Amino acid sequence: MKPVIETRQLGRFYGEGDTLVRALHQVDLQIEPGEFTAIVGPSGSGKSTLLQLMGGLDNPDEGTVLLKEKAISEMSGRELSDFRRDHIGFIFQAYNLIPVLSAAENCEYIMLLQGIPAAERKARVYAMLEQVGLKGKEQRLPNQLSGGQQQRVAVARAMVSRPDIILADEPTANLDSQTGMDLLDMMHELNRQQGMTFVFSTHDPKIMERASRLIHIEDGRVIGEQRRDEG
Amino acid sequence: MLMLRLAFRNILRNKRRTVLTMLSMLGGYVLLVLSLSVQNGSYEQVIDFFTKDSTGHAQISEVGYQQRATLYKAVPASDAFYQQLTSLPLVSAAAPRIKSGALAYGETKSFPVQVVGVDAQKEAGLSFLAEKIKQGRYFNAQPNSDGYFEVMVGAAVARQLQVALGDELVLISQGADGSLANDLFSIVGLIGSTESLDARTVYLPLLAAQNFFAMPGEAHYWVVLAGNYRQSDELTAQLNQWLADRPELEAASWKVVSEEFYKTMQADIEGGYIFYYIIIFLVCIGVLNTVLMSVLERTGEFGVLKAIGTSPSRLFFLIIQETLLLAGLSCLFGLLAALPLNYWLASTGFALPEPMEISGVVMAHMKGQWDLAVFVEPALIVIGSVALIAVFPALKAARIVPVDAMRGL
Repeated sequence: MKPVIETRQLGRFYGEGDTLVRALHQVDLQIEPGEFTAIVGPSGSGKSTLLQLMGGLDNPDEGTVLLKEKAISEMSGRELSDFRRDHIGFIFQAYNLIPVLSAAENCEYIMLLQGIPAAERKARVYAMLEQVGLKGKEQRLPNQLSGGQQQRVAVARAMVSRPDIILADEPTANLDSQTGMDLLDMMHELNRQQGMTFVFSTHDPKIMERASRLIHIEDGRVIGEQRRDEG
Repeated sequence: MLMLRLAFRNILRNKRRTVLTMLSMLGGYVLLVLSLSVQNGSYEQVIDFFTKDSTGHAQISEVGYQQRATLYKAVPASDAFYQQLTSLPLVSAAAPRIKSGALAYGETKSFPVQVVGVDAQKEAGLSFLAEKIKQGRYFNAQPNSDGYFEVMVGAAVARQLQVALGDELVLISQGADGSLANDLFSIVGLIGSTESLDARTVYLPLLAAQNFFAMPGEAHYWVVLAGNYRQSDELTAQLNQWLADRPELEAASWKVVSEEFYKTMQADIEGGYIFYYIIIFLVCIGVLNTVLMSVLERTGEFGVLKAIGTSPSRLFFLIIQETLLLAGLSCLFGLLAALPLNYWLASTGFALPEPMEISGVVMAHMKGQWDLAVFVEPALIVIGSVALIAVFPALKAARIVPVDAMRGL
């Protein structure tokens, strides 16, 4: 099976000379379709940097990221944004919803960029929001929703455009324990039902318990990997 | 539609700032409308007056007369010519004139004057000659009971020669046939003031001028009016078409006949643009500040938008769209304010602190112009300028690197 994302000798440095910090160093990874992968490690280990590079939000200083066998570094700004739009869904730690758009509009936005007809957009948005447990809250603005509900909208936004992979950067970090658990269950269910690929950066043990694959990272290097049949 | 909603809600995020920015654009728009209205209105008044009083909207003369006016270049001044001329669609009035120089004598003094022979009846329906009479009356076309033709003289002529109403005036010049022209006239009217364009002019009835300059049945040119001075080019083209079978004659618009006046007016109009540039500059500074602040405040959000797949060009146009929306709404509200103000300005106008005299006619009121262009041009200027000024912040937003931008969130 061809990997959705592959990194080859990936490196990212900050600063220079004596102050050079290797945030990532020679990282080789392959993410297969349908995986529920967690990248785990202590704070500052390079988890978020790896996720940002995998999603094309940042440029590596060394090595290559291949998205569906295409190197990110070879893509123009326009190509890259189109690629992210069509193939990658992002879930951020701070939700990052557009504050002036309602829950439904936040989800609809990406499909608008994809040129999907209005009727289909609406149907998919309402179905997805129902799936994440937000039926009846479609027209609420982000500030009218709780943190957990906002993160559910973020999940719906990431999934509604049917990307090949969802990259989630510490998605439960700002949520209370129960809400985080519920959200995780929901994403796990979506992964099992729809075969959608998830990659998390996390140090949340609950995510680690459910992950089908754990990638341990420390000081910018992959130091170990565990695979499980069912997370 | 979602993008428009997004743009609209974005401009409503900081309502106070939006209102202040809109007020600056609205104020700029209203100021531009009123300034343009007054400028156009005043130039319209001056050009309308000048062309009616002096040059007409077009003139018909012998080929070369406009470049070098001589006594010997003449056009027919017959009734048949007049009938044909006034039957043309654009022609609303026409009158023949003779124009040359002479030496005028009063009781004891002499003074070089410009002699203008006009058809008393036709001229009264075309120019402001009758309205410019300060003393006395309009002359008769035929000689008086003593056999003298009546004349009206400019204020400078009357002052230099120390002549008054009822006095005699002697003119000496050269006839078109080479003879010595001299005759005695009776002064029945004093024209304008010493500042007037025709202060040094002596007006003669056309028949008197034809006799004096030995030009029977002829004139030097025909002054022709259309409905409006703006039709002068169209009128000139029509006259030249009509004159196609008379190659010795040609028509020229007032812009050619009085090229110096036309160029002066054009230069004056362009000079007025400086005021507009200042207004636009001030509006643009305010808008630039607002849009830049708005972009800086939303840097993180733009990072997210880019991260989830918004292309740089779409982000660029989102900023431009927000600015255009702001400018469009400002102009719309500005229009609501400018409509009644300009209506009053165009219909009633305002009294000038110092009445302005042009060629003996006093203009005490300044009126605006009620024209679609007066409302549309400033809107296009405001919208175009702020759209241009928004390019820089829009480019800044479009070039945002998602991961850097989102660090601030």
